[in-house]
Amino acid sequence: MVVAAFTWTEFAQQLAAGIREGAIYAGLALAIVIIYRSTRVINFAQGEMATFTTFIAWSLMNHGLSFWTAFPIVLAIAFTGGVAIERIVIRPVEDAPVLTIVIVTLGLALLLNGLTSVIWGGANRQFHGPFSTRTIDVAGVPVSVQDIGIVLVSIGLVAVLALFFRFTKVGLALRAAAVNPDSSRLVGIRVGWTFALGWGIAAVLGAVAGMMIAPVVFLDPNMMQTILLYAFAAAVLGGLDSPLGAVVGGILLGVTITLLGRYVGFLGSTLKLPAALMLILIVLLVRPSGLFGRVAVRRV
Amino acid sequence: MGGRIIFACAIVAAVAATSAGARPSATPGVSATEIHLGSSVPLSGEAAIAGNVARGIDAYFKYVNDKGGVFGRKLTLTYLDDGYDPGRAVNNTIRLIQQEQVLAVFSSLGTSNNLAVRKLLNDAKVPQLYVSSGATTFGRDYKKYPWTIGYIPPYSEEGELYGRYVVKNVKKPKIAVLYQNDDYGRDLLAGLKRGLGARAKSIVASVGYDPTSADVQPQVTQLKASKANVLMVFAFGKFSLQAFNAVSRLAWKPQIFVNDVSSASALMAIVPQKAANGSISIVFGKDPAAPLWRNDKGIKLFQSILKKYGSSVNSRDLQDGYFTAGMATAYTMVDTLRKAGKNLTRQSVMNAATHLNEKGNPFVLPGIVIRTTPSSRFPLTQVRLQRWSNNSWHPFGKLISAKP
Amino acid sequence: MRSRLWIGLAGFAVLALVIAALPRFISDFRARELAIVGMYFIALLGLSVLTGYSGQISLGHGAFMAIGGYTTAVLSVDGIYGHQIRDLWTIPIAGMVAGVAGLLVGLPALRLSGLYLALITFGIAVSLPQLPKKFDQFLGGTTGKILNLAKPPFGLATTANNWIYYLTWGIALVLLVAAWLLVGSKAGRALKAVRDSEVAATSSGVSLATYKTLAFGISAFYAGIAGSLYAIANAYVNPDVFPIILSVYLVVGLAVGGLESLVGLIAGAGLIYFLQNHADSVAGWINHLPVFNLDPKQPGIPSMIFGVVLIVVMLLVPTGVGGLVRRAFGPLTSRLYTRS
Repeated sequence: MVVAAFTWTEFAQQLAAGIREGAIYAGLALAIVIIYRSTRVINFAQGEMATFTTFIAWSLMNHGLSFWTAFPIVLAIAFTGGVAIERIVIRPVEDAPVLTIVIVTLGLALLLNGLTSVIWGGANRQFHGPFSTRTIDVAGVPVSVQDIGIVLVSIGLVAVLALFFRFTKVGLALRAAAVNPDSSRLVGIRVGWTFALGWGIAAVLGAVAGMMIAPVVFLDPNMMQTILLYAFAAAVLGGLDSPLGAVVGGILLGVTITLLGRYVGFLGSTLKLPAALMLILIVLLVRPSGLFGRVAVRRV
Repeated sequence: MGGRIIFACAIVAAVAATSAGARPSATPGVSATEIHLGSSVPLSGEAAIAGNVARGIDAYFKYVNDKGGVFGRKLTLTYLDDGYDPGRAVNNTIRLIQQEQVLAVFSSLGTSNNLAVRKLLNDAKVPQLYVSSGATTFGRDYKKYPWTIGYIPPYSEEGELYGRYVVKNVKKPKIAVLYQNDDYGRDLLAGLKRGLGARAKSIVASVGYDPTSADVQPQVTQLKASKANVLMVFAFGKFSLQAFNAVSRLAWKPQIFVNDVSSASALMAIVPQKAANGSISIVFGKDPAAPLWRNDKGIKLFQSILKKYGSSVNSRDLQDGYFTAGMATAYTMVDTLRKAGKNLTRQSVMNAATHLNEKGNPFVLPGIVIRTTPSSRFPLTQVRLQRWSNNSWHPFGKLISAKP
Repeated sequence: MRSRLWIGLAGFAVLALVIAALPRFISDFRARELAIVGMYFIALLGLSVLTGYSGQISLGHGAFMAIGGYTTAVLSVDGIYGHQIRDLWTIPIAGMVAGVAGLLVGLPALRLSGLYLALITFGIAVSLPQLPKKFDQFLGGTTGKILNLAKPPFGLATTANNWIYYLTWGIALVLLVAAWLLVGSKAGRALKAVRDSEVAATSSGVSLATYKTLAFGISAFYAGIAGSLYAIANAYVNPDVFPIILSVYLVVGLAVGGLESLVGLIAGAGLIYFLQNHADSVAGWINHLPVFNLDPKQPGIPSMIFGVVLIVVMLLVPTGVGGLVRRAFGPLTSRLYTRS
């Protein structure tokens, strides 16, 4: 492999790419954490749900709607879908062992992946995002407007969610139900519906992440598979029950992996995933619940 | 506990009952009325679009059957999905030989896939015909693997053609290469270096990517930083698309060469055209989407066969070059079976395949002669260069040789 | 109580006889398929030691199968200093290499619990396939390594597939007896104590660290042997022969089949194999129902079927076979709800 020498311009571009990658991981990781926090379930179908809703967006745009017209429609569909999945598929196994629920989400992932292929076929498609593909000059470095847009949208989402959880009654109910379902019921919180709400919100987050990344990597049924793996890594890194952790973990992971892959010749693009794993393992050995997770102390 | 054992035995008995033990015959896959061939192709996953090759073959076989088949025998193709995964290709091929008992395995797709099954096919003395991969080894290593023969022009020769073109036509070339980090990509790169000859130092940057990458923009960013004015895209499927996307977003304008396998019109049409225009590739088949062949008899035949005999075919498929490539291979296969004679054995098929002299395959460029000898096992060795503009490919220049 | 033991042994003997006699009645190819079911069975046996008896979840056991498979591939193709090793002898070596890897994973695993452990093991399953691609001189990269085809030794007059069948089920029998002895032994009781309550176990003097790590090592050993056999049967390894999803399938097979049930484990192994390789025939069966007209060749249909089967089985199973599952995982789920 013949590599070009180091230049600050390229470094800045790689850094920007890393932040953009990280923003996508953060979005999906946030969805994973929301579901985990509210229902204690790891949703392996998160990526496929995102891909499915992105295809719906594509179909809508194919029929003439502009991106911003289709956007709220898709979010509404995603929300409804998330709620419906929770009520129909997850609810019957709510009290089952964790592993059973995990396998159900896996089955869901396979089902959605197959369904996407059946409805839309496996070919790659162009997805026209809301941001232009122009590049602008930021302090001498060409940066894509699209990348900036992706990062801003992600930050915006996180802010909205933070406000929601902190300052609204519904957000409070969600947090209460997650921590202590039984006491929450006593206070009158409809715990079952807060679970469904959590899934709905996560589905919306996934849909946004999908619509942000599709213009860059091209839309196809398997678009989210590798990204989901990185998102899991980011969620674990940041702490499975910390939304802030998911975002920080995502960006940190994206930047570290991109820079390591470019500047540590030995790693190249092949060892990026193992490098991510090592990174997380080291963090977990020091902080077993992730960077921002709360430690479940169980001294034995 | 006893009940569960009985239940288990019942299942086992059912399994035993449903295994049809195939009757061994003189030549597997051949009966008085049927010739049974097998193939392992990607029908799902990253490379699913390339699986259309098998669907093209299937349609062509049905057409031939309607006209009486080969010496009265109808052709059947059993094609199994391997998702472009060599491990599954191995399983499929074992199933094709041991359960389906096919005469030969042909047009299986993928360099690694075909490498994985080559030994077991040769050990079982089953012909591995018209491999859908341009790795040179399939045509070159016949002494060790006498039952194997390739089909499409070898990748390393393709790379060499690009190298020679650059030397002749690009002033002060500085070449950047994006390649898939496996045998397929590296074959192309090695050929390129050979074609550049003394000017091999014009390669200023080359970066491999792993097929498990999510996106190749970081690699393209790195290549741009080398200030190259020529870019070789030796990629596959969605990675080619991402490469063009990245080139466009980085506002880079090199002369792009894209390798044949990634050059399908369907793919080129959806990338940013600013980046795609001017790209150069090679071609050996007639591209149904190219305006040049709109009124061509061969393409008209192709479309009528696909409409009548294709399964689950839509209007986009009529312009899909993978289907045409499939029919081209099928045409050669039928030609081979006819040459192998009425007394059809695996050996006679192999003899026919290594003595081809086929002119007039309606699905490849006019003037191409598909020729093989036992020691020269590269059926397709003639190509033309083509350039992308106005949303389609335009061949230019004469037929050139891509013979190793 | 005694009669239960005798009935159990009799049932077991019947099963063993059926397995031994089967190849005479089925096609050669079917024997090969059942041999592969046997390999999954061996892996599940190991996993049941880990999850069923020490309560740790691993979503990464496909990686240990890969280690076993690659060990066999490297030893029989490249050999040591050029001396190729006969595929048979590589099997125990492959098991041990995988077992050591399992011990190494078991050590840091001690710090992690529940879902964090599951996700880290999942991370291992994801990362391991990248290593052969990086060290491709030695490990073959994506092209993989091609082994010599399996041949019956000592010139036994039987087909290659039948040989693989007997080899696999013979080893499965030996390993099953070993597992049975383990479970009944002091170590086994210690493992069960760990599973049921770590607090109680430690206060009774059971060293958590030793037994939990040991459980990882043993289960990895089993997986390594399964992987080795698979490499021999396929005569080919590459990173995708042991893909990420395999680790997931193993856990699925375990959960569906049920722990502590021999027949359940065989059923689980059969399910994994069947869904992977015969999803298209399921499409064929469904087409017999009036409403459906599925094209089994259409990409996506097998995935959908697999997904629906998984969901339906899990929805139905949690109370049935899951009774056993709950007993195993009950302490685990309560741990996940623990807060300091």
